[in-house]
Amino acid sequence: MEYANLRRQAASLKRSLFDQGYLDEQFCQVEDLQDEASPNFAEEVVSLFFKDSARLVANIEQAMEKYPGDFNRWDAHMQQLKGSCFSIGASKMSNECTSFRNSCAEENAEGCRRSFQKVKREHAILRQKLESYFQLLRQAGPARTATRSGGK
Amino acid sequence: MDRRRIRVLLVEDEEIHRVVARAVLRAAGVEVEEAENGAEAVRRVRERVAGGGGAYDLILTDKQMPVMDGLEATRQIRAMVVATPIVAVSSDSLPPDVQAFITAGANDFTPKPLTKEKLGHILAKFGLA
Repeated sequence: MEYANLRRQAASLKRSLFDQGYLDEQFCQVEDLQDEASPNFAEEVVSLFFKDSARLVANIEQAMEKYPGDFNRWDAHMQQLKGSCFSIGASKMSNECTSFRNSCAEENAEGCRRSFQKVKREHAILRQKLESYFQLLRQAGPARTATRSGGK
Repeated sequence: MDRRRIRVLLVEDEEIHRVVARAVLRAAGVEVEEAENGAEAVRRVRERVAGGGGAYDLILTDKQMPVMDGLEATRQIRAMVVATPIVAVSSDSLPPDVQAFITAGANDFTPKPLTKEKLGHILAKFGLA
């Protein structure tokens, strides 16, 4: 059946996201919060994450431009983004946030710039992969319970 | 006899953390009220105390928030002689951060994000399970 194939593809994509370190256990925790009342909870939270994180990335970019060398300010913004990553288990992205914060602690502006580029890249990659994942799930439709034909 | 639902005050300024924590709390069957900063949390606690509606059973608070942070909110709630367990839920989880909360009057600390497992431990610890 087509929906079974789509669900298999979604499961495979999700497995690869874990295997490649893009996501951690927290993502499963978020999916586990889905129920009949909130069947799309995970997708809603992920959408909120990308809306929120886009704003935070813009804030960091602006702070780096308007306040050169203000590592405390840069770090404070990145701390927010990192916290946001934790909420959905975006582990690769949060690791890059940590690298940025380490560069701030060292007052290494060039290190911050390099890390920030990586943060933005991981953000874009994760967005694309999760969009594909949820698109597959939407196409598959809600999970169906298998029934034996002609049986009770 | 119906068991009264546990009433939790969730103090968190970031929407995404509120959404996830709210879902975790509701999945555990608790009644959730929310405050977006420490000042609002203090106001809500004061109103409950003054109004005789009964204290919250548990307060979960972030640290960094606008208007008033979680540390100051904790101090002010304790100054009202409110014994409600306060648990800090923060991504600032180094020992000095934890100690600062304990010194302010919090009962415990757990790193973000709130999960079903962490909440289970908290509820059990304070006899709310």
